[in-house]
Amino acid sequence: MLQEADIGVGISGVEGMQAVMSSDYAIAQFRFLERLLLVHGHWCYRRISMMICYFFYKNLTFGFTLFWYEAYASFSGRPAYNDWYMSCYNVFFTSLPVIALGVFDQDVSARLCLKYPLLYQEGVQNILFSWPRILGWMSNGVLSAIIIFFFTTNSIFNQAFRKDGHAVDYEVLGVAMYSSVVWAVNCQMALSINYFTWIQHFFIWGSIALWYIFLVVYGSLPPTFSTTAYKVLVEACAPSILYWLTTLLVVVSTLLPYFLYRAFQTRFRPMYHDLIQRQRLEGSETEISSQTEVSSELPAQVEIKMQHLKANLRQRNQ
Amino acid sequence: MMNSNAASSSTANPDAAGSPDPPAPRRSSKRPKYSKFTQQELPACKPILTPKWVILTFLVVGIAFVPIGITSLLASRDVVEIVDRYETDCIPVANRTDKVAFIQSNASKTCTRQITVTKHMKRPVYVYYQLDNFYQNHRRYVKSRNDEQLKKRSKTSETSQCEPEDTTPDGKPIVPCGLIAWSLFNDTYTFSRNKRQLTVNKNGIAWKSDRDHKFGKEVFPSNFQNGTLIGGAHLDESIPLSKQEDLIVWMRTAALPTFRKLYGKIEVDLEENDIIDVILENNYNTYSFSGKKKLVLSTTSWLGGKNDFLGIAYLTVGGLCFFLALSFTIVYLVKPRRLGDPSYLSWNRNPGGH
Repeated sequence: MLQEADIGVGISGVEGMQAVMSSDYAIAQFRFLERLLLVHGHWCYRRISMMICYFFYKNLTFGFTLFWYEAYASFSGRPAYNDWYMSCYNVFFTSLPVIALGVFDQDVSARLCLKYPLLYQEGVQNILFSWPRILGWMSNGVLSAIIIFFFTTNSIFNQAFRKDGHAVDYEVLGVAMYSSVVWAVNCQMALSINYFTWIQHFFIWGSIALWYIFLVVYGSLPPTFSTTAYKVLVEACAPSILYWLTTLLVVVSTLLPYFLYRAFQTRFRPMYHDLIQRQRLEGSETEISSQTEVSSELPAQVEIKMQHLKANLRQRNQ
Repeated sequence: MMNSNAASSSTANPDAAGSPDPPAPRRSSKRPKYSKFTQQELPACKPILTPKWVILTFLVVGIAFVPIGITSLLASRDVVEIVDRYETDCIPVANRTDKVAFIQSNASKTCTRQITVTKHMKRPVYVYYQLDNFYQNHRRYVKSRNDEQLKKRSKTSETSQCEPEDTTPDGKPIVPCGLIAWSLFNDTYTFSRNKRQLTVNKNGIAWKSDRDHKFGKEVFPSNFQNGTLIGGAHLDESIPLSKQEDLIVWMRTAALPTFRKLYGKIEVDLEENDIIDVILENNYNTYSFSGKKKLVLSTTSWLGGKNDFLGIAYLTVGGLCFFLALSFTIVYLVKPRRLGDPSYLSWNRNPGGH
């Protein structure tokens, strides 16, 4: 049965370890099962679904800027960025925040997960990984790429980009666009998660800092290795105020649609974990009174939910 | 088939450690050592998107962006830029039906233009040439160079990737090899005002890192533009590559098909209503691919050249944020909602439905 089930949980104990050996998860006491399901089950579901959606998003944002650039390079296959920037994108500059999301993220604390077991239904009904959500994240990626590409190329067009009259070339545009992509993608992560420990801060802001450090280090290698990136940040981009202002504009404009969507969603169509977060925020001043309020309302909701689930089950059995 | 209450443990499992002995003080607990990290209880900050934060964020963005937008727009408006498109006008009327034949012939290509200065231009006035529809970012074109050869005298015979401009028919290497160098822009401009010549400073137009590290001080052009097809300018064989600034500027390939490259700087002020006479040599063949050629005179500000887009974009985003802050304030005031109100859950709104 353990092997046949989607998830088999074995309990190690007096009767031996056979169950543990053939199960997916093993626990030591039966009472741990509640925590396994309600806390870790909920967290893992949210982490995995968010991680996958975010992964698509960040690669779409990156890839589509390359695609739009091709339209301006007569589709010859010239990448908009230096080869090493592209190789390091998924390894250094955007991987750590995703790991922080996939391993550490919590939308609701453990105590509240146990207190509101209905939160587990988000996983059962696959609310956080439905097609609309996946496609929503993907279109966010495409939209971000459009904003990044067109705002960058229109701001840093063919005019001089510094006071000393130097005109824009391939290197500068590549660095400007790539910086905007790295910033936008990492700040999007900061907007999506609700749980910041020192780890998340370190990974997110550290990845952005790593990009600049990489530019300096790679740019100081001899031109035989660094080809188009030779001294590009130190000499060309960093003294240019236009470069920094463009990065700021592009990042804020890219994140604005998502932020707007979140503001609307939490106001008009909040999900269950949004409500729980707000209730926690509302504070312990109303906790005592609201506890009784909420617990008297919950049973009615649970009733309705159970009826709905039974109806679903009946339908499936037919 | 095992199940969790496999009582078929007839093989007595000695693995009954943690055995249910009568509760003895010396029973060792298997409980793992507590640490905040492993128990996922690190001190955390858990920001939530409340109405206060939404409005505050929009306001902050608006307040930050509008001044930036205004200063950028003012800086861009301060820049004086004169653009003169000349590739059609500089072909004599009689030859305009077959421009390619004209440009490839030996006829005189000298052309005089007149530019009127619209506003006072403070020095230095930068002179650029702008090309449109020229894909300097084409992959095959960009590949066609050899960086080793450009840098070191000992690597003069390295011409890989430079085909077809790598060697002469009798096998001697072309320095600098490749299509980028071969297509070097060769229109020239001389400026005069009131019959007095304006000198164009052609030093320091290339990036310092290119001059010092990418183009060798001991590499001299040889066998350059010797073939039947002339692609662009000729190079003085006695000047090392590190001092051939036009070549260095040209070889730093552009990002987009419409680009400008620095030609030189005019180190005097230009007054309003000055008439600048330009004598230009219209040598470069952009007619085969309907490219455009433009001469640009421009000053710069702290932000660079003339481009209103940044200022307008900042103002638009800032204005939009103010508008959103206002609308959210109205929404929150008009339809306040008790936070954490469970009546908004979907299953409470349509009971029994989904």
